[in-house]
Amino acid sequence: MKKNRPNRIADGQTLAAWLLSAPSLLIILTFMVIPFAMSIVYSFTNKMLIPNPNNPFQFVGLYNYIKVFTNDVSVQAFINTGFFALLFVPFTVAISTVLAVLVNKRIKGIGIIRLIYFSPQIVSITVVAVIWAFIFSPSADGLLNSLLHSLGLEPQLWLKDPKLAMYGIAVMSIWQAIGMQMIIILGGLQYIPEEIYEAAKVDGAKRWQTFISITVPMLKNTLNFVIITNTIAALKLFTQVFMLTEGGPQNSTNTVVYFMYNIGFSRNQIGYSSAMAVVFFVIVLIISLIQNRIITKGE
Amino acid sequence: MQSQIFKPGKGMRVALMYVMYILIAILFAGPMIYLFVASFKTDNQIVADMSSIKGFIPYGDLSWDNYRAIFRKMDFVKYFMNSAISSLLVVLFGTLINSMIGYSLGLLDFKGKSVIVAMIIALMIIPSEAVIINRMMVATELNMLNTMSVLVIPALAYPVYVFLFYNHYKGIPKELLQAAVIDGSGYIRSFWTIMLPLSKPILATVGILTFIRRWGDLIWPTLVTRDDTYRTLPQAMKALYSDAYVYWGEIFAFGTMVTIPTLVIFLIFQRQFIQSVASSGIKG
Repeated sequence: MKKNRPNRIADGQTLAAWLLSAPSLLIILTFMVIPFAMSIVYSFTNKMLIPNPNNPFQFVGLYNYIKVFTNDVSVQAFINTGFFALLFVPFTVAISTVLAVLVNKRIKGIGIIRLIYFSPQIVSITVVAVIWAFIFSPSADGLLNSLLHSLGLEPQLWLKDPKLAMYGIAVMSIWQAIGMQMIIILGGLQYIPEEIYEAAKVDGAKRWQTFISITVPMLKNTLNFVIITNTIAALKLFTQVFMLTEGGPQNSTNTVVYFMYNIGFSRNQIGYSSAMAVVFFVIVLIISLIQNRIITKGE
Repeated sequence: MQSQIFKPGKGMRVALMYVMYILIAILFAGPMIYLFVASFKTDNQIVADMSSIKGFIPYGDLSWDNYRAIFRKMDFVKYFMNSAISSLLVVLFGTLINSMIGYSLGLLDFKGKSVIVAMIIALMIIPSEAVIINRMMVATELNMLNTMSVLVIPALAYPVYVFLFYNHYKGIPKELLQAAVIDGSGYIRSFWTIMLPLSKPILATVGILTFIRRWGDLIWPTLVTRDDTYRTLPQAMKALYSDAYVYWGEIFAFGTMVTIPTLVIFLIFQRQFIQSVASSGIKG
């Protein structure tokens, strides 16, 4: 086969490949690579969204980076984002895995059950946010507060309480994300041979034992994929915060992307926002590399 | 084996299992049922029903008033069309161009291919939100602000979807393509006549994922629209929720109208979608 292979330029393969790739490449270049390069350049300048004649465009060295690392609010934004990821990723992955195992059965009606578990995924995140804002109503007769009351507990301010707000954002985010991850993990479960479970059963293993010692290790690649994609998803938290809390109360839900939006768009400081973006990018890269390293080391 | 002294009958175990399935289902479907039901109630009743199970029950003074109020209060049809047109254009053309490059990278041989693949993977890791402010600056320089194209064009190419297509086409035997080429079909024509028809499940998956993403996107339209000519539904939802007084009935009516299109599209394609997400996934 190999020696019959036609010359790739003469047979039009190269031309076809570039023609078919061109539209995507052009858009990626214009709207991802160039903005990325601009972020690096602008991060060393005082670039403004609307130029200010009193403060002409100029290089300011590391000024923006010093601000990123010393400003309480920007540091807080990084901490908040990390805290959210630490809530979001483990719970999403754990619950999705358990649910995937639960719905991995051939019984009547399982298709509909999977569909229902998946359904939050098709609700726009803005709608999810307002539904949960309603559930988290801070008044004493609010939905969740009534539930607390019937259990004999004190009502809470939820999204208006700096200690609880991020937990509230995390709950609604996990609730929405689970369905999709469950289906992806369900896909991974199909590759685990039935015989292993039967052998474990014969050996007298309990159900949770087979889950820990067979299901989880056999799902390794799937779980790695789910962990990495969900970490990235968690680190870019924006919409829920923008819709419901605008970073508050007391900056407790201010995230990196929300802060970047806020200082760049609302407060005109493209340079500062760009420095934030570069630091953010480096952190995401490091986390991805570490996760990747841990994963390949285990092999 | 397990304790032999007390072992519930098989029927009993199955029944308990279904009870558990249904309880979990309520956790997922409950908030949406609440949304639909409450969208027909008055604000007074919504607040009164908040503290009990009655919130899930359609009773009392049910009407279309909340829906009418939405149409009175805002140009819902315009925002709906903006969202629908921009989302559908991105689904159509985005899925097409991402599958085109995915096919090139997955099945064709050409110089520079490995560089492009590496770039796509690197860009998958960077959240596009990280550069979104400067993406707006590019759109500004290109005079694209406040147009339909700014809602569509930058969203067309998406590295994650390129990668999904790349992975899909890499799994297709090259012999299939070579046979077609030897029969006189060019590489571009083979893509249309052979490869695209082989890709229906992945096309459906990427199409639906794209639609959900665009339909719900709030940050990009906020950055690049300057008045309400191209305002989208998520922006309208933000405005509605940010009002000095929150009218829950109207918000729920709005939320219902925003959810129904995705629900319909999803129900049409759900079989292919769930199968393809599950199987295009990762082995092991």
